[in-house]
Amino acid sequence: MWRWLFGRLARAAGFAWLITSLVFIVSRQLPGGPDQLAVADLSESGRLGAAAQAAGSQQVVRLAVRRRLGLELPVFYVTRAGGQWQWHGTANQYHHWAVAVLHGDLGRSYRDGQPVGTLLREALRFTLPLAASAAGLAAGLALGLGLYLARRPGSVGARLLGGLLNGLQVTPLFLLALGLLLLLANPEFLNLLPAAGQAPAASSGGHLVVYWLGRAALPLLSLVLTVLPELTLPLVANLRHEATTGYATTARAKGLPVGQMLRRHALPNALLPLLTTLTDLLPALVAGTVVVEVLFALPGSGRLLAEAAAAHDYPLVVAGVLLTALARLLGLLLADMLNFLIDPRLRPSA
Amino acid sequence: MPPRLFLLRTRPAARLALGWLLLLVIVGALAPWLPLPYAPTTPDLLQVAASPATSSGHYLGTDSLGRDVLAGLVAGARRLVLLTLPAVALAILLGTLAGAAAGFWGNRRLRLPLAAIGWALAATWWGLRLPGVAFLCGLLGISAALTLLTWRAARHPTGHRRYTCALPLDGMVLGIITLLGSVPRLILLVALAAGPPLATPQLLALLALLAWPEAARLVRGQMHWVRAQPFMEAAQASGLPLSRIWWRHALPHACRPLLAFGPLSLAGLVGLESALAFLGIGQGPDVVSWGSQLASVRHDTTAWWVAVFPGLALFLTLLALQKLAKLASSAVHK
Repeated sequence: MWRWLFGRLARAAGFAWLITSLVFIVSRQLPGGPDQLAVADLSESGRLGAAAQAAGSQQVVRLAVRRRLGLELPVFYVTRAGGQWQWHGTANQYHHWAVAVLHGDLGRSYRDGQPVGTLLREALRFTLPLAASAAGLAAGLALGLGLYLARRPGSVGARLLGGLLNGLQVTPLFLLALGLLLLLANPEFLNLLPAAGQAPAASSGGHLVVYWLGRAALPLLSLVLTVLPELTLPLVANLRHEATTGYATTARAKGLPVGQMLRRHALPNALLPLLTTLTDLLPALVAGTVVVEVLFALPGSGRLLAEAAAAHDYPLVVAGVLLTALARLLGLLLADMLNFLIDPRLRPSA
Repeated sequence: MPPRLFLLRTRPAARLALGWLLLLVIVGALAPWLPLPYAPTTPDLLQVAASPATSSGHYLGTDSLGRDVLAGLVAGARRLVLLTLPAVALAILLGTLAGAAAGFWGNRRLRLPLAAIGWALAATWWGLRLPGVAFLCGLLGISAALTLLTWRAARHPTGHRRYTCALPLDGMVLGIITLLGSVPRLILLVALAAGPPLATPQLLALLALLAWPEAARLVRGQMHWVRAQPFMEAAQASGLPLSRIWWRHALPHACRPLLAFGPLSLAGLVGLESALAFLGIGQGPDVVSWGSQLASVRHDTTAWWVAVFPGLALFLTLLALQKLAKLASSAVHK
């Protein structure tokens, strides 16, 4: 079993590395790199005089920036220049980047020169609790809702809830979150929760915790609501299917109430297909934090990624892709482990 | 097709959904010729953030930069018709061909003659102008020798499988699908669109690239089912070549689930494209779509009309597409 699991994980890790490498190489080919930003910066801030803004001095600035960031090297081991293929050995950007990443160094941000690792760690301190609590809440709610919907299929409440879930399923996250923001955190309408602005400067730890809980409530709600249909609707279908099987009839015939039959007998069998959704749940939440953190102005990793993409800060973007791929790897591992725990038949023999 | 028309007549919700989508397509296609009082991108600085009730000439108000909301809605519909619809069509075409080929030929069934591989390799080598003329000559020599051998072997009754090698088509397609699926689509889109603003064809290609694996997976699964059907055996027994069986007999059956999948795929891409526009990544400042309109409400949260109309349009479109998918799947299963 361990060998099989290890092989699966190794394959997934290989794919994660490959997609990150592809994004890295593509991002290094794109125009609008840091050298052009630096030139634009200088000419905007007026540090270069009118005479010095000639093409020649721009070229000097550009070259200096490129050399400082190691961008004057070729991008890959093999490049093509002037109709000729050239082999560069290890003196190329991809090799340097790969070696650095394997040593835990993700590079420096183009914008302010800070190490990407530090920036991400700061941001993850916020995003990890948000995503984890969203995952936990959504899973718990899905279980409860699934059991409720499966118990009374035809009732008014179940129909209303089902319609609501169907509506939620088609709504993209940004639309849902924007709606919540405009309804519940709007001075013109209901101003229940804070959605933007600075944390109160002079306050004790307790106040700060309460403040951030208030700030995180709406993002959390949006994330939970957006993954809820994908978790609940298949579960309800599974539960209804299990309730028609022979063992369910037997359980009912020996006098078990419907709720207990569903919980004790049908649920363990209906839960298994749900675990595979877990593989997609974690990355979906990471993608969701991008939208939610931008909208609610939270200082998390999703907003970091979106702002980096908008500002052409490629080292941060590549690191964000790597992080997301790792989140998927984690989801895969978790789903496999839970599958093994719950259903011994799935363990590959030998 | 009488059964589908019958469904349309009986279900008002389905008729509404189809009507809305039809309206969108017509408005999007005819947008440049519609008699709108204002252009979507030119600001009306005399009426900034004017509500629909108070402004004159702006039927749905203006946003915080003075841009007309109605004109923006029409521009968003046009973007839907010109960008998202072709992207979905391209993605489904690509995904169908790749998935159907992978599901039908598998890893073993497609056998290419070694000589053809040699010739193709040599042609690529020459086309890319890779260094090493001696290697190229060697490759050409080997290919020629293999061609001769294959030609001689083909004269034997059982020799046509000699000097061939299996192309692992299934493994290749699955590998690319797994590679593209190892990061969520939104993150990949954000990362690949992080450069300067993309032109419409580039964005279209990017969206199609991200969307084709779903269609491919679906068609591949259906193709496995088709291959197990008795009429496949019958076709093979009647001596038809495999390529003809694939194209004429297997492909039409493998495409059946696409009827219900198409609208859902379109809904997914509309959401994705709007999310990208909402985040403002990879878009020029002069491009107006529903996503960018929704983003502009953040500058002025009192102007509810800036968010409500595009939000409603987007939601109704997605809901209608879901309805259409349900209608199509019930028509298929009938």
